[in-house]
Amino acid sequence: MTAAPDFLPVLPEMFLGASGMVLLIVGAYAGARAIRAVTWLAVLALAATAAILLYPAWTAGVTRQVSLFGMFVTDGLGVFTQTLVIIGSLLSLLIAMRFNEREGIARFEFPVLVLIATAGMMMMIAANDLIALYLGLELQSLALYVLAAFARDDVRSTEAGLKYFVLGAVASGMLLFGASMVYGFAGTTSFDGLAKLFAGGGAAGVGLITGIVFISVGLAFKVSAVPFHMWTPDVYEGAPTPVTAFFSIAPKIAALTLFLRVMLQPFGGLFGDWQQIIWAISVASMAWGAFAAIAQRNIKRLMAYSSIGHVGYALIGLAAGTAAGVRGVLVYIAIYLFMNVGTFAGILCMRRNGKMVEGIDDLAGLSRTHPALALALAIFMFSLAGIPPLAGFFGKLYVFMAAIDAGLPVLAVIGVLTSVVGAYYYLRIVKLMYFDEAQGAFDRPFGGEVAAVLLVCAVAILFFIAWPGPLLNGADAVAATLFPG
Amino acid sequence: MIVQALAFYAFAAVAIASGVMVISARNPVHSVLFLILAFFSAAGLFVLLGAEFLAMILVIVYVGAVAVLFLFVVMMLDINFVELRQGFLQYLPVGALVGLILLAELILMFGAWVVAPGAPQAAVAPTPSTLSNTAALGTLLYTHYVYAFQTAGAVLLVAMIGAIVLTHRTRPDSRRQRIARQVARRREDTLEIVKVRPGEGA
Amino acid sequence: MAELWRSYGLPTTITVAEIVAIIVPLLLAVAYLTYAERKVLAAAQLRKGPNVVGPFGLFQPLADGLKLLMKETVIPSGANRVVFIAAPIITFMLSLVAWAVIPFDAGVVLANINVGILYLFAISSLGVYGIIMAGWSSNSRYAFLGGLRSAAQMVSYEVSIGFVIVSVLLIVGSLNLSDIVEAQKTVWFALPLFPMFIVFFISGLAETNRSPFDLPEGESELVAGFFVEYSSMTFALFYLGEYANMILMSAMTSILFLGGWLAPFNIQPFTGVLAHLWAAAWFFAKMAFVLFCFLWMRATMPRFRYDQLMRLGWKVFLPLSLFWLAATAAFLVFTGKLGA
Repeated sequence: MTAAPDFLPVLPEMFLGASGMVLLIVGAYAGARAIRAVTWLAVLALAATAAILLYPAWTAGVTRQVSLFGMFVTDGLGVFTQTLVIIGSLLSLLIAMRFNEREGIARFEFPVLVLIATAGMMMMIAANDLIALYLGLELQSLALYVLAAFARDDVRSTEAGLKYFVLGAVASGMLLFGASMVYGFAGTTSFDGLAKLFAGGGAAGVGLITGIVFISVGLAFKVSAVPFHMWTPDVYEGAPTPVTAFFSIAPKIAALTLFLRVMLQPFGGLFGDWQQIIWAISVASMAWGAFAAIAQRNIKRLMAYSSIGHVGYALIGLAAGTAAGVRGVLVYIAIYLFMNVGTFAGILCMRRNGKMVEGIDDLAGLSRTHPALALALAIFMFSLAGIPPLAGFFGKLYVFMAAIDAGLPVLAVIGVLTSVVGAYYYLRIVKLMYFDEAQGAFDRPFGGEVAAVLLVCAVAILFFIAWPGPLLNGADAVAATLFPG
Repeated sequence: MIVQALAFYAFAAVAIASGVMVISARNPVHSVLFLILAFFSAAGLFVLLGAEFLAMILVIVYVGAVAVLFLFVVMMLDINFVELRQGFLQYLPVGALVGLILLAELILMFGAWVVAPGAPQAAVAPTPSTLSNTAALGTLLYTHYVYAFQTAGAVLLVAMIGAIVLTHRTRPDSRRQRIARQVARRREDTLEIVKVRPGEGA
Repeated sequence: MAELWRSYGLPTTITVAEIVAIIVPLLLAVAYLTYAERKVLAAAQLRKGPNVVGPFGLFQPLADGLKLLMKETVIPSGANRVVFIAAPIITFMLSLVAWAVIPFDAGVVLANINVGILYLFAISSLGVYGIIMAGWSSNSRYAFLGGLRSAAQMVSYEVSIGFVIVSVLLIVGSLNLSDIVEAQKTVWFALPLFPMFIVFFISGLAETNRSPFDLPEGESELVAGFFVEYSSMTFALFYLGEYANMILMSAMTSILFLGGWLAPFNIQPFTGVLAHLWAAAWFFAKMAFVLFCFLWMRATMPRFRYDQLMRLGWKVFLPLSLFWLAATAAFLVFTGKLGA
């Protein structure tokens, strides 16, 4: 008999999954009366998971630890991004609560699915094997497909769900195809094994490269990088707004982390082979995200293109392939998290005469009707555009610096240029809010949770410059562990 | 060995032929039936490989449960065969092109098949020779791959939740049997004995 | 030539002979099961039952068979011909091929495969195809409804049957049917697993579409359900298949829970060929008892309503068998008796 494996490192994921199941049973028995209670319990479960995750890191520090027969890895990168994912899910749940109730789509399965999706994201972040990667990815994707179609009586939402599902299935297929090729040519699915094989840098046949290309395609789809972004605007527009907020944050962080891990750890030795792929994806995403967004009239579609562009910026760090690059990516996604949650909290306030409005023009004159909301949104827009001294600027700064250090000045220049283009549409929103005629006030109240999230995010973005230490040091430490020596 | 070779060719031929029929049959129900035949032949091939446990599980799970539900749905749906054919012809060139590209890639790859140095050493989980394959499968699944196994279970759970979330509706007008209420019903609540005098009944 | 005969011809001939030796008595048993059913029902309803053809009506099944053989095979004009003909053949075939792995005594079995119980389970889960194909291809509402009902019903009850089988397997530690019987030398599994035995028996009724779960036929609402359009030999094949499935289910029940060919307390008064007969006789006696229970059920129970059927399967049997499975596993782990 083989001894039972050590489950302790997987405790956060297990706790999260188990609490999802418990809440499922609670919801199934208590029915509609318990939706709010289940949601709050889910928030609590997320907080508890974060505590379980961070407690050993706090007391004993994080050392890389591979468990469950090489399937699962606990390391700095994992803990850092898992924490971000948990924060993203938690904030999304908070801003979703009132919205779902108002729109009549409040059901107890919503928080349960968010919990399980979060567990899936944590698993894919912590994957140390192609099989574990795929299963974690599927767990989160499947939950997300359902969430996209959650407003099931709304044609656009079901369309979004179906589109996401079909295209996501194709992407998963690509990823699996690539993984099987890598397995066929390398003889192992373990990241450690692959890393050992490619440590020398040589020995990559055309089959392996094809496999890696397919894996990158699958991952690029999940982070919605151009040219695999087609689903993003439609899904973002169709899905219920809190779900869109969730989509644009947690899964994106998880998939980006996965991208980092897969490229740098198992295939790290093949850096020269995949760098150009990432380079191309990054440039295409930045450019398309900037130019296509200009024509958008719907704020959710705009945010979709914005997120495509931001993925492009984050991928610059990966293309650099250095510790500084990884640090840039980590800082970027942490800041992106707060900017995006905040913006979507603002979008959730866009409600006129009991109906959600999503047009950009509906924001006109917001500064006169809701000055505080306008101020918060303006902060997020400036930050998204990357205007100093807001946090978004620093995110971009670090990845551009890393790119220049790594000898990729072209990438940095393109990044700066597309940022300028992008600034146009971000600042247009600010102009609309402050200088155009008001169209009429939004419905009040926005809800305490939404207001709190807005406030927290705005403060975080605004005062990041005053206290950047924890984030920068954390990202630094994590990036250093990925590049020993 | 001749018998085994014959059986292999028979199963393989049936599997391929029914696979072709799945996509070319005019009637979708026939397609599903051919799909079942393909599963069945695949199970036969598994038996020939000595993987009898997998063969049986394939039959039980895919043929016995999944395909039944599939057949169920296809039979219930009113599918317009003519429309289906039109799409088929329209997309045939594109589909064939994609297929050709994939084929070319595969040929290219298999031509370039080089076993990476150190790959055999890196391979995990050698095949045990003393166990029956059911026991070997179980031993591996519940130790080395327990994480993958449990996660796969979670994926299925999500699929179930999703199906229920997206389709289940409680109909207010459907009448349900409430056994507790039936049992709790008493004679006094429902029955009243009235003395009717002759000539006064209505 | 002689070499070829020795390595291929002879084994094939022997196997064919064995198959015939199993199937012919089986078909006879099927014929007389219909007779037994009518007699048992008659006794339950204080009637005489068949008593005209032959002594005590013993030739009645033969007369019935002859009648069906002489009738014309009618194929409805709107039917899907190939599927329509294939459905009864599949049903009948499946009810026969399952017998390949049934052991009648230690070593007396056509194919003593390692995964015997899975094979049985697989074959019985295929049974639904004959019915659903018949229902669909007949191009008739009654038949289609019957087919759909049976598909849902059989898939539902298969789940709990699966769990019951797994809990037996946990105790035995083998998928081989002979091993399962041998493992019951000390005590028949019907005693320690009594709730599972009941679940299995009732699910077996549902799986074979027997009363009180005979909704797929439901003669009072669906005329005759899935085989309403069938006549003559095509109908006879369904009929034979259904009764052969009943006998198979009783054989499975005997093997899994009633100790198969083992005599109670391992009484063994004979040696040699007689010992084999003694063992087989016990096996047949147990099957006869289970079959009698099948008929008894039909004589006493009214038919379930469809929602009750589903409720019983999913809300009662599934949790119960799951719980008992977990309990069995926990017991085996904590007492350290887990099968190798």
